[in-house]
Amino acid sequence: MTHAFAVDRALVVIAFKRRLAYKSGWIFGLALGGGSMLISMAMWQNLLGGGSLNGYDWSSMRAYTIIGFVAATMVFGAADFQIADRILDGHIAVDMTKPVDFQRARAAEYVGSMISTAPTAALGVLGAWLLFDPPGPVTPMAGLLTALCFVLLFPLAFGITYLSVLVCFWTKRYMGIMWLREALLSFFSGLMIPLAFMPGWLQAAAWALPFPHFTTTPAAIYLGRVDTAGALGLIAAEAAWVVGLWYAGRLVFRFAVRKVTVHGG
Amino acid sequence: MPILESQSLTKTFRRPDKASGFKGAVKHLAQRKYKNYTAVDGIDLSIDAGESVAYVGPNGAGKSTTVKLLTGILRPSEGTVRVMGRDPHTERIANAHDIGVLFGQRTQLWWDLPVEESLKLLKHMYGVSDADYKRRIERFDELLDLNEFMPALARTLSLGQRMRADLACALIHDPKMVYLDEPTIGLDISVKDRLRAFLRELVNDGTTLLLTSHDLADIEEVCERIVVIDKGAIAYDGSIERLKAHYITTKAVNLYLEGAADVPALAEKFPDYEWTAGEAPSEVTVTYESNRFTTAEVLGSLTAQLSPRDLSLSEPSIEDVIRRLYAGELTK
Repeated sequence: MTHAFAVDRALVVIAFKRRLAYKSGWIFGLALGGGSMLISMAMWQNLLGGGSLNGYDWSSMRAYTIIGFVAATMVFGAADFQIADRILDGHIAVDMTKPVDFQRARAAEYVGSMISTAPTAALGVLGAWLLFDPPGPVTPMAGLLTALCFVLLFPLAFGITYLSVLVCFWTKRYMGIMWLREALLSFFSGLMIPLAFMPGWLQAAAWALPFPHFTTTPAAIYLGRVDTAGALGLIAAEAAWVVGLWYAGRLVFRFAVRKVTVHGG
Repeated sequence: MPILESQSLTKTFRRPDKASGFKGAVKHLAQRKYKNYTAVDGIDLSIDAGESVAYVGPNGAGKSTTVKLLTGILRPSEGTVRVMGRDPHTERIANAHDIGVLFGQRTQLWWDLPVEESLKLLKHMYGVSDADYKRRIERFDELLDLNEFMPALARTLSLGQRMRADLACALIHDPKMVYLDEPTIGLDISVKDRLRAFLRELVNDGTTLLLTSHDLADIEEVCERIVVIDKGAIAYDGSIERLKAHYITTKAVNLYLEGAADVPALAEKFPDYEWTAGEAPSEVTVTYESNRFTTAEVLGSLTAQLSPRDLSLSEPSIEDVIRRLYAGELTK
């Protein structure tokens, strides 16, 4: 194992342990998230009844809502506040004296954080699945591609989180940025309302952003709304966002680090 | 051969220029004004390998900002820094391998984990071998009683324990250049003594040290050279001995007389000396210019003519010199 990977692994382990130190907070968040999923389910059940809207009936909407909840909530349940706090309280000064790449270190911490939440997330999904009995993937290939899409969501979520946290260098506050990110994610991912319900220009705006990959893309692949070629195209676009956001993070950090103004000792 | 060299090192920050009160806040919202504030102003500094340098100055003088420039945390507005031939800001990661940094007011421990976990993570970050790690932890334990709190969560440590743990974190990779920014702040006397003894060992082992502190005992006990900074610029750079020799031009003798001291009469009798009444009526302090009179001459004349019951010599204090340098009473 190279030195860099040994450091990554050590940071993953540390973040995992830190997460376990405060697990009650995450479980509380998960319960709230689960609650919002139930509300969404109830709303769609009443709205759709026995019919369908824009191609979604109650059966497909159950799968859509669970996929959206998992994709848009679980992957963001990570260490954004920890990074933001370090920037805002000046602890980044200490990070800058360590011989590690700042972004890569934060990515490793994100992985550790996510690993710690995986069992609870799996349990939550299993519970929702058993409770609502949604349909399975249209084909085994669709199931496989949905899983691939989900795997890519983790680095994508990190890219968005990291970039949004770096904005703290300029704003000196994080809460507003987080709320804006959550609002954009909720709206443009299709979690709040499927993109198919939106006018064409708004759908086009959504697809110009990375957010639809958090609900619309996996749900579309899972429910067979796109064929295999279409699914691969969507996954390629998702992967391109992952790479683009990683390098965007590097670029923004290069400018952001010039804004470091840690006064006093 | 300098291990660290800075030329015309300058850091300017932009600060909002906002009037106080509601009106000021609203006005600043509509018409933003900023003022430039120079924290570090043209610092030329050269430190050779193995030197121990105290970097002192009053609050807000630019000490910590200089340390952040030298460690690569901040980018200079003007001027250059080279540490072991590297630009510490643009070559931050390579530079970080060779330096150790301690900020007295910011811990590098992971707050919610045992101290041991933080040290092990740093071991990985710096690529320290298992054997070296074990050897260094044993040494830190001998000098800092590290094992006493290795399994404790960082957030449960006392300030003294936290500082000892942070010092171990800063030195676990045996850095060539060490920056300690107020390492004894808030510590009690016994912990300070232990830390100073540890730092003396470090210097004796050949580590280059730059220390900022408001505690002048840290400086006198650990460093040979002192750089005094005021308003972002160097006010003095030289050995502590030279500082004393150059600026301490007076010495003092405390006399304990048989009866009450008549200070005006004594001042009239010995006009070359300055006389000050002591705490007790029989106590008096005689101050004389050390470049005009030797201590033997002064003691000879005083004991011959006054027959004091007892006397003591006041050692020249670097604290007085620094205080006068801060107050602008002394110049380079």
